[in-house]
Amino acid sequence: MTAVTSHGTADLAVDLAPHNPRELLLRNPFMAASGCFGYGEEYAGVIDIQRLGAFVSKGITPERRAGNAMPRIVETPAGMLNAIGLQNPGIHGFVKKYPTLWDSWAVPAIVNISAEAVDDYAMMAAMLDEQPGIAAIEINVSCPNISRGGYCFGWDAEMSAEVTRAVRGVTTLPIIVKLSPGASDIVSVAIAVEAAGADAISLINTLVGMAIDVRRRRPLLANETGGVSGPAIKPIAVRMVYQVASAVRIPVVGMGGIMSLNDALEFFLAGASAVQIGTGIFVDPGLPIRLIDELSQWLDEEGFSSFNQIVGLANVGFRSGDPHLFRFREASGL
Amino acid sequence: MRRQLAQVETTGTSREFESQVLAVDHTMGDAILLTVSAPTTVVQRLNSGQFFNVSCRFPGSFDPLLRRPYSVYRAHQQPSSLTFLVRPFGRGSAWLAGRTPGERLEILGPLGNSFVIPPRAQRLLMLAGGVGVAPLVMLSDVAVARGLDVVFVMGAADAAGLLPASELRGPVEYVVATDDGSRGHHGLATEIVGDYVHWADQIYACGPEPMYRTLRTVADTHRINKKPGVQISVERGMACGFGACLGCVVETRRGMIASCVDGPVFDFDEVVF
Ligand SMILES: Cc1cc2nc3c(=O)[nH]c(=O)nc-3n(C[C@H](O)[C@H](O)[C@H](O)COP(=O)(O)OP(=O)(O)OC[C@H]3O[C@@H](n4cnc5c(N)ncnc54)[C@H](O)[C@@H]3O)c2cc1C
Ligand SMILES: Cc1cc2nc3c(=O)[nH]c(=O)nc-3n(C[C@H](O)[C@H](O)[C@H](O)COP(=O)(O)O)c2cc1C
Ligand code: FES
Repeated sequence: MTAVTSHGTADLAVDLAPHNPRELLLRNPFMAASGCFGYGEEYAGVIDIQRLGAFVSKGITPERRAGNAMPRIVETPAGMLNAIGLQNPGIHGFVKKYPTLWDSWAVPAIVNISAEAVDDYAMMAAMLDEQPGIAAIEINVSCPNISRGGYCFGWDAEMSAEVTRAVRGVTTLPIIVKLSPGASDIVSVAIAVEAAGADAISLINTLVGMAIDVRRRRPLLANETGGVSGPAIKPIAVRMVYQVASAVRIPVVGMGGIMSLNDALEFFLAGASAVQIGTGIFVDPGLPIRLIDELSQWLDEEGFSSFNQIVGLANVGFRSGDPHLFRFREASGL
Repeated sequence: MRRQLAQVETTGTSREFESQVLAVDHTMGDAILLTVSAPTTVVQRLNSGQFFNVSCRFPGSFDPLLRRPYSVYRAHQQPSSLTFLVRPFGRGSAWLAGRTPGERLEILGPLGNSFVIPPRAQRLLMLAGGVGVAPLVMLSDVAVARGLDVVFVMGAADAAGLLPASELRGPVEYVVATDDGSRGHHGLATEIVGDYVHWADQIYACGPEPMYRTLRTVADTHRINKKPGVQISVERGMACGFGACLGCVVETRRGMIASCVDGPVFDFDEVVF
């Protein structure tokens, strides 16, 4: 693969774990999102993956999972629904292969973990802490909590914080907590996980959705419901990033429907220190690599010497730590 | 080499190319033959059974969002190009079938595995259902060029939906069936394919899921010890095309397998229907 270096002069580097001695240094703010990039190797012959800021693995679970029945994907207007069902080799299968492979790579590799009990999250994090080749853990809290009747961890601030604390207790690796847009008050979830020891926050995961086959009079997905992603969810994602970025002081990673530099810039200006691209990679695999060069050029043209200068520029309360500012406007000024 | 470098720089990936529609020909029923330009490196490394993920929308539009997979019907060296058989069905395929010469397309590939002709196989039996005929036409071309014997069985709803015999190159025995009896055997192609099973060293099939279910009965009654082997091309909706999303899996005896990388061609006896 040809390494095409950025043309611009602006500094694109970001640290997503500034308070953690192990750091999470990215050469640029473009990451591949969980579930959309396999384990990196799937794209190794397709794009120059080593140029990415980082990539996040498919969600790993305590046990191996075969995933859901087909169909697992349905296209929706300017987006898609997926219900893959976390098909993955399980943490034990995972550690046999990927840490050593990733250790030989330059690109930071982040492991996304999913579980249905707090102890299981901690068990996986403890195992990962000892592995080579892992730059950080991303906690996917969009999972049912078995001990709370299957209520989603990520919809509840205290449950999300509990998972974060448990993981924090067993690893010094940088921790990114990936928030669920299904939370009724995403800002309080963000504040709770920050207090529980998260190094960074990423958002948004997919929104729960559904599509029905009118002819068969049945849901189109075998799993009935699935997660909506792609351009259709972008405005929701930008709003949530804007809100969360003003309420917390740790770095925020934005995602949801990014298909162009303009989309990525919306997230940066809203307060995201980095972005992840998911569905956009399916549609346009070269996108994350092109965006690195396009951002660099844009910063030069606009007279910025460093990427960090644009983070939060459109956000009046950025990192103010005052969630009320924005909440008030949200409620009153739709 | 320069050209390819330039491509990496503009699209960010060496696996995608911008293509131009060269010709649109009407063939069977409402399906069209869409011939598009392709880099020589792509055409040269292509094998029958492989497919391309084609963007089915105008540039700048996000709808329909996902690419549609198309098997290669025929590859050409002069000029370097590919022909796809496109049946307008849903939104993406209808858009693609509406293209005219000179228009541009974004194409990703070649993707997936390919049909395998075993070293000692001399007699190849092909079973096509509707537009599933596409990858078998390319396979038949390859087989004929190697001096192998081909029996090509095709089924369609009616005579208009059949591939014209003139589309098959070389000495190929072409046998057809139609649901309405307007040409050939009145009924399913799977009902006549049994007659050739003993003759064949290897069987290849491509068609809709119901065809594979009837083929199961034929294969079970006419084969001894699962010989000859049957290779089928399976159709799944796709998102990534690189084994990353696991949205296109096929259930096999080895587990859920991504059909975009370890398919679309599967050993029929491995697939769980
Ligand atoms: C490897 C491979 C090779 C292919 N080769 C060819 C080819 O050579 N020629 C050709 O004409 N087509 C081919 N197809 C199918 C082609 O990609 C489909 O027409 C396309 O995926 C459907 O897209 P659409 O835009 O027509 O329909 P959509 O607008 O996506 O769908 C219309 C309706 O059909 C349903 N639907 C969509 N996909 C499927 C499916 N796979 N099975 C059942 N229902 C579905 C949808 O849910 C929707 O209700 C191939 C598919 C695969 C996987
Ligand atoms: C097919 C698919 C699989 C996904 N799997 C996971 C997963 O395993 N863990 C996770 O945290 N998020 C998963 N996601 C969510 C994405 O990482 C991302 O948050 C979401 O798709 C929004 O970004 P996008 O619009 O750019 O795709 C998945 C998304 C898709 C489309
Ligand atoms: S289409 Fe994504 S794994 Fe096959």
